[in-house]
Amino acid sequence: MKRLKQSMLILSVLLFGQLTFPVHAAEVAVISDEIAVGFDYPWALVQLPERKAGWLVTERTGQLIHVADDGTKVQVPLQLPGLYVAGQSGLFDVILAPDFATSRWLYLSYACGTPNANTTCLARTRLSKTTPYRTQATEKLFTARPLRKGAAHYGGRMAWLPDQTLLLTLGDGFDYREQAQNLENHFGKVVRLTMTGEAPADNPFPDKTDGRIFSYGHRNSQGIVYDPTRKVIWQHEHGPRGGDELNRLQAGRNYGWPIVSLGIDYTGAMVTPYEALPGVVDPEYHWTPSLAPADMALYQGTMFPQWQGGLLITHLAGKRLQVLMPEHDTWQVAAEYRTSNEARLRAVAVADDGAIWLLTDSDNGRLLRLSAPKD
Amino acid sequence: MFRVVIAFLCAVLSGALVGSIVQTQFNLAALAELSVPITIDVRISTIIHDIINFSPILAAMLGVVLLVALPVAGFVAHFIQGIERLWFTFAGFIGLLLCFAIVNELAPMPTFIAATRSWSGWLLMAATGGLAGWLFHRVWRPTVRDLKDPVV
Repeated sequence: MKRLKQSMLILSVLLFGQLTFPVHAAEVAVISDEIAVGFDYPWALVQLPERKAGWLVTERTGQLIHVADDGTKVQVPLQLPGLYVAGQSGLFDVILAPDFATSRWLYLSYACGTPNANTTCLARTRLSKTTPYRTQATEKLFTARPLRKGAAHYGGRMAWLPDQTLLLTLGDGFDYREQAQNLENHFGKVVRLTMTGEAPADNPFPDKTDGRIFSYGHRNSQGIVYDPTRKVIWQHEHGPRGGDELNRLQAGRNYGWPIVSLGIDYTGAMVTPYEALPGVVDPEYHWTPSLAPADMALYQGTMFPQWQGGLLITHLAGKRLQVLMPEHDTWQVAAEYRTSNEARLRAVAVADDGAIWLLTDSDNGRLLRLSAPKD
Repeated sequence: MFRVVIAFLCAVLSGALVGSIVQTQFNLAALAELSVPITIDVRISTIIHDIINFSPILAAMLGVVLLVALPVAGFVAHFIQGIERLWFTFAGFIGLLLCFAIVNELAPMPTFIAATRSWSGWLLMAATGGLAGWLFHRVWRPTVRDLKDPVV
């Protein structure tokens, strides 16, 4: 493995305390390897399942990059229909189909359209079996409606459910926050789709919009995972100033934005006077002040056994990786990791060997691997 | 000079106070449309919260706007006389109107102040700039008629 830089870091493990109020701390040593550098605002990463096949990394500016095990980067040709790159828009998440080994389908979320009429889209493409990787049969499966102006709050994270339906998070478009409560559009929703982008028959609102809405009242969600052990969907979303939320996602439920929030607007104005209302699901955990959670992975590896079942969450403004562990019906920050240069962290994934892989957020983004030191 | 400073401070503080109250009404109206209960107690506590937390930002914007707009109004009024106060009012209004547009271009979010997302909100919020311009001139150069009929 090409190690551009290696360093030993110590994670503070807060055993019985919140982040801001640690009661007791221990330490866990991790090794941080810099695998590759020079990514242009990388957004997501996924490990290819074949042995030593490497990783795929998306860059928000529209490129799909294959990173081999030795850190070599090769761009994978990709033509996404109507890709729109500006502000927060561009190429977002990449996820393998449940039957990827045979189908070779990659699912990609991205912004499509023009400055005055854009939205979140979903496409899939077939990845070649051999390197150098190529894509073919790219097709758009879903377009969130309606189109909007501006280039903010797209959501864009995806997760598969055990029934092979796909969850896709959709942002409120920033200027359209009240529409997150309106079931006649896709602003501020999580949608559930079949593998071909259709609405599953058992979705909770079959008669609303196009039947694809799974949950609503979201602001800008950039983290979603299915937890097969607990049989729970965990989802997090950016709050405004304060009020970033970790939610237990359930079909048909209202998660409150913008009628309920634990944060206030960036200007200091109150978005809503209510922190809770009947019929609105409270978050399982919240970050106030905001850390800007940008991705989430469920840890099921063996390299860090103490984090088994924990949630790994990267933060942009917070510039850290947090490990959240369940404790007394809530979540506690069990450990934190920051890069030596305090980089914003965009994406996190767990490799098949249990190592934790991270992407930093910048025009010179880095791919990092965190592993446990060998005894 | 002292009178100018007092007039300026009165204009900024009054404009920010009224502007804060106006934007609160837009935000609460949007929630009420979603059937969120807005009682008079909730309305008052939200107004107070926003005066404490939002009005300083609006005051800063208004201060910068007036530093540019008021001299421009004075310059124009020097050549087109007789409607001096109208020029100051107009300058405050146009200045804040442009300020919102410029801030939206520079800020990472599409619209910095949520109440200005609609045309009506943008114009009404900008009108508080007009109020500030009017008040500045009223305090700085009160007319004989003004002095017979004091504000307070």
